[in-house]
Amino acid sequence: MGETRVLTSEKQPEVGAALEKALGMTAADVVFEVRESGMKGRGGAGFPVGIKWNLAGAASGADKMVICNADEGEPGTFKDRLLLEKYPHRILEGMAIAGYAIGSARGIIYLRAEYRYLVPSIMKAREELLEKKLLGRSILGGGFDFDIEMRFGAGAYVCGEETSLIESLEGKRGEPRNKPPFPVNSGYLGRPTIVNNVETFVNVPLIILNGSRWYRELGVGDDAGTKLFSVSGDVKHPGVYELPMGSTIGELLEIAGAEDVQGVQVGGASGTTITPDELDRRLSFGDLPPGGSVIVFDSSRDMMAVLNNFMEFFVHESCGQCTPCREGNLRLLDATRSVRSGEITGMEELKEFFVLADIMKIGSKCGLGQTSPNCFVDIMTKFARLSGGKGGI
Amino acid sequence: MSRRPVEIVASAVEEYGSGREAVLQILTRVNGELGYIPEEAMKAVAAAVGVSDAEVYGVVSFYSFLSVKPRGRNIIRICDTVTCGMKGFKDVVAAIEEELGVGVGETTPDGRVSLETTSCLGLCDQAPAMLVNDTPYIRLTPEEARRIVAGLE
Repeated sequence: MGETRVLTSEKQPEVGAALEKALGMTAADVVFEVRESGMKGRGGAGFPVGIKWNLAGAASGADKMVICNADEGEPGTFKDRLLLEKYPHRILEGMAIAGYAIGSARGIIYLRAEYRYLVPSIMKAREELLEKKLLGRSILGGGFDFDIEMRFGAGAYVCGEETSLIESLEGKRGEPRNKPPFPVNSGYLGRPTIVNNVETFVNVPLIILNGSRWYRELGVGDDAGTKLFSVSGDVKHPGVYELPMGSTIGELLEIAGAEDVQGVQVGGASGTTITPDELDRRLSFGDLPPGGSVIVFDSSRDMMAVLNNFMEFFVHESCGQCTPCREGNLRLLDATRSVRSGEITGMEELKEFFVLADIMKIGSKCGLGQTSPNCFVDIMTKFARLSGGKGGI
Repeated sequence: MSRRPVEIVASAVEEYGSGREAVLQILTRVNGELGYIPEEAMKAVAAAVGVSDAEVYGVVSFYSFLSVKPRGRNIIRICDTVTCGMKGFKDVVAAIEEELGVGVGETTPDGRVSLETTSCLGLCDQAPAMLVNDTPYIRLTPEEARRIVAGLE
């Protein structure tokens, strides 16, 4: 599979080549190229990157902002850690290209507090780019200025949600905002703002250098590009793998060395729990949303303990602002505990909790509460040993 | 020699400014230097930025890395999320608790170490993992964890 790696390929383009090429294009053409590439945001939500940039570029307002979301906190995800460690220059270059594209002179990397040990390598890369005139005032001698500063989270999963992240950057509690207005119109300090994931920015220089068509063809079928997957749990070779977007989960597991599979959590705690019957499903925004986290559970694992762990995580990380999420996660944790203790023995008794799960999906304000019930529904219906249930042994 | 809370706030305000958006940065600085954020520091931040004390407290209480209670000189944050849970978190945390003589959420009486659990650290490929202050430790065994903890000043 080595030939499918582009983000993590041994052969990397020269630092600055993509930025130089972009500066020779109009900003509108840069946005067009990214839009035509079909790249969807690599943070998990999958919003088309070029459309976001187009909106921010067209928005009226001064001091537009480029923000890199390095608040990777989804359980089982560590691909951005690898990118921040190994490819900081390309992240910064991608941000500068984004700045040129939308008409922004200022970027911020919002790094989770847990990754502070990565700061020296990122700051060193920034220094090197400043020296080469690839950041700072009049980049490459032209009229474009762009610089990047680092800011830090303080331990809050919800700050990965872009409006929570912006609130946090503004020094506040990281509670999600009502939308609209969207950040592209009114983001950080009311300025037009794009927030993109680390992996998204890493893709940008390659799209500019090789073209949108090249990028689209990297994926399988309608899916564009490659995707990084963090694989952990019961596999021989846990780590980060790069595969064409649209590959099957089975292909990924084979490379990572998963021999005994009871279940797989795809897309982190907020993602989808699948059984071995579903290994031909595609890692694609059209099928299994590929947030990037893949956790494998072998037959020795108690899936109800896994669910319990996920629900405790969500109870802890819910910001508490909206009721469906704050109360809902607690109730789903209660139900999980009741099944484990034997107080609940049949699917019939869980009916109301499935209704609650639906209410949370519809009624929660942000992605946290909208997705946290997924694991509850999946594990209860596919794995729990309950009378009237499909799973169970 | 640690500086007084108000001195830390004053120097952080000099660096980050007194805009509303500086609040988390200032608080993070105090928290980093003292291990926690005393009430007088919160009041000083509120006064410098021009918001209520309650608003500043609201920020402090939101983030897991910020604390209103004094903590040890070293903070151990051990990941209790699913992959670390599968790879031996329980045995490692038990070993650390025994070595320190305190449980999760507590600080040793000599003020040397606070022990906390934390959500996913993004080190799942090298589980179980923990942070000691800002430094990650990976592929922990109970013995290794004991050795690391015993070596903390």
